[in-house]
Amino acid sequence: MIDSIFALIAEELGRIAADKGEVLPPLTADSRFLDGDLPIDSLDLATLLVVLEQRTGQDPFREGFRQFTTVGELAALYTVPA
Amino acid sequence: MTGTRPDWVHPAFRLVEGEEVFGWAEIAALPVPAGGVVHADRPSLVLAALAAAEAEGRGVLLARGTADPDGWRPGQGFTVTLESSGTTGTPKRLCHDFARLRGRLRGVADEGARWLLTYDPGAFAGLQVMLTAVAAGALLVTVPGPGAGTIAALAQAARRHAVTHVSGTPSFWRAFLMALGDTELPLAAVTLGGEAADQPLLDRLAERFPDARLRHIYASTEAGALFAVADSRAGFPADWLDEAPDGLDLRIAGGVLEVRSPRAAPGAVDPDGWLSTGDLVERQGDRVLFAGRLDGLVNVGGVKVSPEAVERRLLAVDGVADAAVLAVASPITGHLLTATIVPVPGAEEAALRAALRAATADLPPAARPRALTFADHIPLSAAGKKSRKGPR
Repeated sequence: MIDSIFALIAEELGRIAADKGEVLPPLTADSRFLDGDLPIDSLDLATLLVVLEQRTGQDPFREGFRQFTTVGELAALYTVPA
Repeated sequence: MTGTRPDWVHPAFRLVEGEEVFGWAEIAALPVPAGGVVHADRPSLVLAALAAAEAEGRGVLLARGTADPDGWRPGQGFTVTLESSGTTGTPKRLCHDFARLRGRLRGVADEGARWLLTYDPGAFAGLQVMLTAVAAGALLVTVPGPGAGTIAALAQAARRHAVTHVSGTPSFWRAFLMALGDTELPLAAVTLGGEAADQPLLDRLAERFPDARLRHIYASTEAGALFAVADSRAGFPADWLDEAPDGLDLRIAGGVLEVRSPRAAPGAVDPDGWLSTGDLVERQGDRVLFAGRLDGLVNVGGVKVSPEAVERRLLAVDGVADAAVLAVASPITGHLLTATIVPVPGAEEAALRAALRAATADLPPAARPRALTFADHIPLSAAGKKSRKGPR
């Protein structure tokens, strides 16, 4: 069920990149957020988390930070509502 | 350029700037612009300009491209003028006496240390890191580019040069931890500054780098560097209100932290020597914790931004009936500005989004509102005001 969260992340990252005039390379579960794989910076990543909270109603970081480096690791922090 | 090595430069000092490596001889040979204004984007050039200004007994302005340097004059005697990264209005310039700028640096030689520069070389904190590495005879690893380079480039440089000393904002550290992944770094010193360090981040850093000395620094623009907290806990010990370290006095007045410091800029203090920091604090048990700014500024990735000022800009855009700029908590950048927009009837959303973007395009990226949402009204607090901070 992580697939639909993955699709949501891809959609919103694509929008954030497009706003900056960048094109997002094909996204995989192993794409690393801040390691140069993707044309985004930490402000863009912070934006992504806010938008994901707006769209899913979930904030996996409410109780403190949870480590993630890749798109797949972030997707796994969200649960898909039934 | 005289070519002699200033006494604040240890002979073993070396600088890595991208793919280039400099010793002091190479730095001293760099051409320095006449007139004392240097664009502070390369650490090598900043250091060369400092040495040249000292040798010529005049001031130097480390310009950050935020203001017109034409009206600036170097004056008599060696001083260093820094520009704030101001997000509202004209950036402030603060002239520092070089000796006081170095006042809190311990001139301890540490030739094996390898420092990573995460701050802009023209910023107060960046200069402190550079001068520390210079005096220690350490290796200073830097990444050219706007600011101090991207997180990815900094993580790559940190790995490649196996850095041992890293000082950065809490927002830097959150992003840096992510970019490092599982990489082992031989860190001996982990330092945080520029915004309040939160306990979850301190805990993660202590766990990730168990052998490193973990410290967070508290400083204010007017009072300079004030104290360092080394017990891995957020805030500072409440005992310090009775007896503070380093010749400081601390007190809480109206919820705001006030300091009396031998290092405060004259002029900024009241007749008894007290200075308001503008930082709100709360006493909780044996601890005093930071709780935001009196002036409503919020820290986004180490940059102080004004939600009100950004909101005023959005309200001035054609097609906007009302707007609210809100600071929401972010696990990456501490806070992030978001905006809710109420369009006038019939406004076209795509065109309005473009106009809103254009209205904030000249602000630093941290001050631009992200995640613009359109709504038919702005929710108000019980007091009838727009609520400024997000939940949490």
